[in-house]
Amino acid sequence: MLDFLQMLVSGVAVGSSYALVGLAMVIIYKTSEVPNFAQGEMALISSFFTFMLLEQCGFPYYAAFPLALLFAVLLGFFLEFTVLRRAKDPNILGMIAITIGIEMILLGLVSWKFGADPKTLPFPISPYDSIALGEVFISALEALTVGVALVIMLILFIFFRFSKLGVAMKATQQNDTAARLMGIRTNRILMFTWGVSSLVGCVAGLLISPITMQPYMMWDPLLKGFAAAVMGGMTSLPGAVLGAYLLGIIENLFGGYVSIEFKSVVAFAIIVLVLCIKPSGLFARHYVKKV
Amino acid sequence: MKKKALLRAAAVVAMVCGLVWNAMAEEGVSDTEIHIGQWGPQTGPAAAWGSVARGTDAYFKMINAEGGINGRKLIHHMFDDAYNPAKTKAGVKELQEGTGMFAWVSGVGTAPGLAVRDYLMERQIPWIGPSSGSLHWIDPASKYLFPIYPLYYIEAKALVRHAVKDLGLKQVAIAYQNDDYGKNGVQGAKAELAQHGLQVVAEVPVEVKDTDMKPHVMQLRKSDADTVLLWVSPVHAVKIVGTSKAMNFTPQWMSTSTCSDFPLMMHISKGLWEGVIAATFAELPDADHPLLQKYQKDAYGKFAAKDERWGLFYYAGILFAEPLVEAIRRCGQDLTRERVVSELEGLKNFRGIGGEISYGPLDTAKAYETRQGMKEVFLVKCLKDGKAEKLSDWMAIQYP
Repeated sequence: MLDFLQMLVSGVAVGSSYALVGLAMVIIYKTSEVPNFAQGEMALISSFFTFMLLEQCGFPYYAAFPLALLFAVLLGFFLEFTVLRRAKDPNILGMIAITIGIEMILLGLVSWKFGADPKTLPFPISPYDSIALGEVFISALEALTVGVALVIMLILFIFFRFSKLGVAMKATQQNDTAARLMGIRTNRILMFTWGVSSLVGCVAGLLISPITMQPYMMWDPLLKGFAAAVMGGMTSLPGAVLGAYLLGIIENLFGGYVSIEFKSVVAFAIIVLVLCIKPSGLFARHYVKKV
Repeated sequence: MKKKALLRAAAVVAMVCGLVWNAMAEEGVSDTEIHIGQWGPQTGPAAAWGSVARGTDAYFKMINAEGGINGRKLIHHMFDDAYNPAKTKAGVKELQEGTGMFAWVSGVGTAPGLAVRDYLMERQIPWIGPSSGSLHWIDPASKYLFPIYPLYYIEAKALVRHAVKDLGLKQVAIAYQNDDYGKNGVQGAKAELAQHGLQVVAEVPVEVKDTDMKPHVMQLRKSDADTVLLWVSPVHAVKIVGTSKAMNFTPQWMSTSTCSDFPLMMHISKGLWEGVIAATFAELPDADHPLLQKYQKDAYGKFAAKDERWGLFYYAGILFAEPLVEAIRRCGQDLTRERVVSELEGLKNFRGIGGEISYGPLDTAKAYETRQGMKEVFLVKCLKDGKAEKLSDWMAIQYP
């Protein structure tokens, strides 16, 4: 029983970092229907930027972290404005190819600037201190990640539901032309979306980096976050978060009780299953476009 | 007239001789140059080991700056294979069939090496010092392949022997990367434990792509191990030790030479690597060792890039090339592949900046004796400041 509880807690903990990446992907997908494969590397470059500020320029935490978030937002704006907006008559496939291109450029940039030796991000709390809930352990960093993921989800939920900008973003996704006719500057909305998404991704990166950071560190979280988002329905914010927690828990239980070797694979097997049974994902409303 | 015919005949003879001489000259060697190839990941998931090839490069530049070997300069051709066997094979073929390499040196990784072993061996091209301790290099043994890196198998044996005999620890578990590298470690650990009438208490496989180590640590903790061998990558090793600390599980950690770059390990583990015992195959970075200090001054000091660190893997690139350089030196002017092979086979108790290296005329029944260059390691413990405390002298270990 104790083992089971520990696996549940561990699953929720690891699920939180998937959730943040998943959320970041969903935000962009919601407005442009493009899965952004550069998400991981956008978070990567923001994390390494933070590393540079803290380790090489000697900034204090209270300056470095806000600067990192600002950098992430500007990076999102920049990529949307200089690359994606320039694409002529883009179809979805073309846009996906562009995000993959951005991904490779950013990865190359980080490898070139910071080299391949693993590093670790200085952080106010040690990633190896733990909080004991009876006999069940959770590391302080993981507890923080769970908290941050929940808060961000809540803020995003309120933002999309009640703020003007959030509603405008939803409108842009559902009908771009109509939104423009209603006076929404859809270009700006898209740029803003990329900024917000980059910010959320950056938070995920910053919460992963205190353990170890290296150029390839965002690959696994990106794949898992994407998988969680697909499982949750790709357009649903709570769906992505629940999908991520589910994924984390299933991985841990499977690793503990069935086979540790196939732990990482089982997640994807379940996604295939979900998509076969409920193609729109577990938590998204199924839209049927009338022609 | 007669004189003219004679001259013509002489010219023809000279040309024919020249052609024959050219045909006989060894590929990749001229009177002034020796071409040597090497692959190593400068990008991709294993790029942290890219320093091996850069170390070799600085070493060759140092030799050239000192006048080369018997009047010939070493021309080093290294390429980035990103630890991708398909790229390794393409790159090796391109250099071998385009430029023509005399020999190959080092080359990081078991999988990339396996991808080109048959190609090189079929063409009878010497390959010295693959940068991995895999059993594949001697099983089966090949005439032209001269491994140096001590087997992961004997590293595991040395560590387990120390745990059981010197520290009195009996509950040994192992977390291993689920591939050739990890499995060689498991084999060695089991063999040594069996000699003491013991068994491993847990074997936990780690996939290269795994990032969450909690399920692995739970299995280790459940086994009540007092010693855990980490046969995984440096990043996984740090994650396992860190996750264990967060779960209040603190056995004696032991690890392979792959994780014995203590300054690096201490840094990325935020200090958790202190007390970890590792096997290693080269002198320590700050050792009072004249040859190592010379390399640090003349190779690293003069030819390394600005951000390069004087770490284990950097000078391992020198260590893996030392026997080849020695063999080329011993060949004198008569530099052929066959001659290099026979000079390498004649190396006995050769010591550069690592353990003793000996080969012998190929005997497949005695592959370990005749083809495994280094058969010894020593053990070190990581101290608080990232420095290493030597726990043993060089320990020669038999295989199997």
